[in-house]
Amino acid sequence: MNKINVRQTGVIIVMCIFANKILLMPSLMYEQTSADSIFVLITLFLLDLAMLPIFIWLKNSYPDKKFYDILKDKLGVVITKIIYLALLCFFFFKCLLVFSITYVYFKQQIYHNEFIFMALIAFLPVINHAVLCGVRTFARTIQLFFGIVIAGFIICLIISLFTPIAAPYFFVSNASQFFSSLYNHVFSFGDFIILFLIMDRIEIKKGQAKHLYFYSLFAMFLVVTLFYLFYAKYQITAFMHNNALADLLVFSVQFNAIGRLDIIAMLTIMFITLFQMEIFNYAFCDCFVNIFPLLNKNYSVVVFDVLFCILYYVFIGRYETMVTSTLFWLPYLAIVINYILPLVMVLILIIRRRGEKKNKSNL
Amino acid sequence: MSYFNVEKKVKEVKTALNESVDFSYRYFKRGNQKLAFIYLKSIIDGQLFSSAVYFPLQTFEGELSIDKLKNDILKAIDIKEVKEMDIIKEVLDGRVVVVTNFSKKLLSIDLLKFPTRAPTEPPTSPVIQGPREGFVEDMQTNITLLRRRLKSKDLVIDVLRVGSQTQTKVCITYLKGIANKKIVKEVTDKIKKIKTDGVLDSYNILVYLENRPESLFKQVGNTEKPDIVTSKLLEGKVAVIVDNSPIVLTIPFIFIEDLQNSNDYYTNHHYSSFVRVIRLLGLLIALIAPGFYLALQLYHYNILPLNFLITIADTTQGLPFTPFLEILFIFLLFQILYEVSLRLPSYLGLATSVVGALILGDTGVKAGLISPPGVIIVALSKIALYTIPEQAPQITVLQLLFIVLGGSLGLIGLISGLVYIINYLNNYDSFCTPYLAPYSPRIPQDLKDAILVDPIYFQRYRPKSFSPEKKERV
Repeated sequence: MNKINVRQTGVIIVMCIFANKILLMPSLMYEQTSADSIFVLITLFLLDLAMLPIFIWLKNSYPDKKFYDILKDKLGVVITKIIYLALLCFFFFKCLLVFSITYVYFKQQIYHNEFIFMALIAFLPVINHAVLCGVRTFARTIQLFFGIVIAGFIICLIISLFTPIAAPYFFVSNASQFFSSLYNHVFSFGDFIILFLIMDRIEIKKGQAKHLYFYSLFAMFLVVTLFYLFYAKYQITAFMHNNALADLLVFSVQFNAIGRLDIIAMLTIMFITLFQMEIFNYAFCDCFVNIFPLLNKNYSVVVFDVLFCILYYVFIGRYETMVTSTLFWLPYLAIVINYILPLVMVLILIIRRRGEKKNKSNL
Repeated sequence: MSYFNVEKKVKEVKTALNESVDFSYRYFKRGNQKLAFIYLKSIIDGQLFSSAVYFPLQTFEGELSIDKLKNDILKAIDIKEVKEMDIIKEVLDGRVVVVTNFSKKLLSIDLLKFPTRAPTEPPTSPVIQGPREGFVEDMQTNITLLRRRLKSKDLVIDVLRVGSQTQTKVCITYLKGIANKKIVKEVTDKIKKIKTDGVLDSYNILVYLENRPESLFKQVGNTEKPDIVTSKLLEGKVAVIVDNSPIVLTIPFIFIEDLQNSNDYYTNHHYSSFVRVIRLLGLLIALIAPGFYLALQLYHYNILPLNFLITIADTTQGLPFTPFLEILFIFLLFQILYEVSLRLPSYLGLATSVVGALILGDTGVKAGLISPPGVIIVALSKIALYTIPEQAPQITVLQLLFIVLGGSLGLIGLISGLVYIINYLNNYDSFCTPYLAPYSPRIPQDLKDAILVDPIYFQRYRPKSFSPEKKERV
């Protein structure tokens, strides 16, 4: 009975959709495609959204089967393990990216010259505990805090309206820049892949799939609004601001009278980052135990922690290198996972349907 | 034909009870017929014995038989036949055992009486409106209080004995057809499995009922009020009444129950919702205020309004402690004062309060040991703690944890701690019931009586969280 319901699945998707998109991505995108980044964002969102019907189709076809078992049955153990290794890397680097960006923000705002592992000391035990407790536990927790997170997010958006904003200029980028941006930022997408990994833990009753669309579209709407307000606020200097949600609040003079309101963005980001890391860590550990079935979840958590600490230490000093990697190297991995893997699943489903039809006609 | 040697039987019982000082017996002889009453004089009603047992027997004319004794002669309410091997148990239960030389049957008459107090308003749950009766130590009285409120044929009261020495009666009470059978079975099994020599209070049973006895958090509900137990039984819960304890346990338990108070059900629902929000706020202030203040002071001072920041800087200048140690010091000071005031006699308690508030607080500030904002923050959190007195022990421990987290890791530490605790609470279900229901997981039907309260006529269904067998309240 450790299943999660469709609403809990929805809040997990929302957290995944926010990820890096509300932090560094708006400014990175702006550098390439200016305000047209909103179109890049919407295109990538639509491509992502196409994964949802595939997931629902797969879930309906194999209601209680694990994603790993489906792949193993259809593609064999070796290919499945390779795919899972790719997924493991995908989620690990997503986690590392999100945390590193948040850390840089925390360092500027809070810790200044403190020990670089301060934030990690606070986060790692919590995410490890969540992973060991299982998906149902952290899904419930996210559901409990969901209202607070969304309220924080919306308040940030509203407060940003209390500064002079002007409509950004659109259609200033060419097709090459547009497609190049699509490719460069693909790693920050593919949020629905997590659903495939936890598909055996999700319970979708008849007629409930629409809730998943609702949650996804709601999160996408919030992110698109954030992009628009961010560009409207900062215009040509938008590429200089590395934390979109927090920077939305800056210069809101009317609200400075009651103290700095950064705390709203800060708390929202803390919650979102923590939940995203729980989800990504869980995905990592799930992949790990499937690749190495002799090792249990405890080992996977230890491996995650060790790898995370090492790479965090290595990359945090080379923040630029890490961001560049997500733009130029990791998209290869992301394309395989975001688009090729779902296509493979579609093929599997089509073959299965044909097989069923054939069996029916034989009968 | 002689069935029992009455004198020998009395002697046997006396020896078995180690010739206890309160052991007593009386013989009655008519012709060849002889009988003995065996009892403990300390726990039976002597007057009732004379008027309902001995006097009717003396005035009876004719040949005695066990059936005549049971049905005609003895005037007590509860008379039953018992086996020879149960004599000791019956005597220890405050019954008078009748042994005769003309029947192999033994009679046991309930004449139990010991000092009890009348049901009064429990000091832990005073109410402004609504019933004021509270449970007492006598189990029979407690059952009467429940029966008076629940005149239902479905009210089941099962009695078990726990404790090899104390032989304490433990009642498992529920409404048949409403309470979930699985929960009833689980509770019964857990109580049956208890291996101990003594049960002195319901707390001794509570620890055996918890799924995670090592946990800090409360997993079994408890109350001293019969109206609350009745309402919980109607929700589909199971109540455990323990003899010699005025506290009745209720199972399953969810966190939100401690935010609810019996006052809420006897007043306007808008006001009830308002006070529940205040209690929740109080809980949050109690939990994180000192840690949050520390985090702001140490890491996030730029968030504080400038005037407040200047006040803090002014008052903390020259203190011998770091902010973390200062808050920890004030926290421990409050806790010591609290413990002292609990244990001292009331006339000394007042003196301690004066010493604590004036001498330690004011002089501490004047001496430059502690700062006024620090005192206010810790005092506020300590006062807020008692918006939910049932959770006070747990929250006190967590306050300390949050002080450490806020002081060492700042806001990130506080948020991580909070999420960790919520994850932990979400990970255990108390008797198939999610601990943080109806918010996590969200159960819309149960939100009608959660933090916000709907009028009673909207609450047509029993809480889904407790999986009742009968869902509708009709």
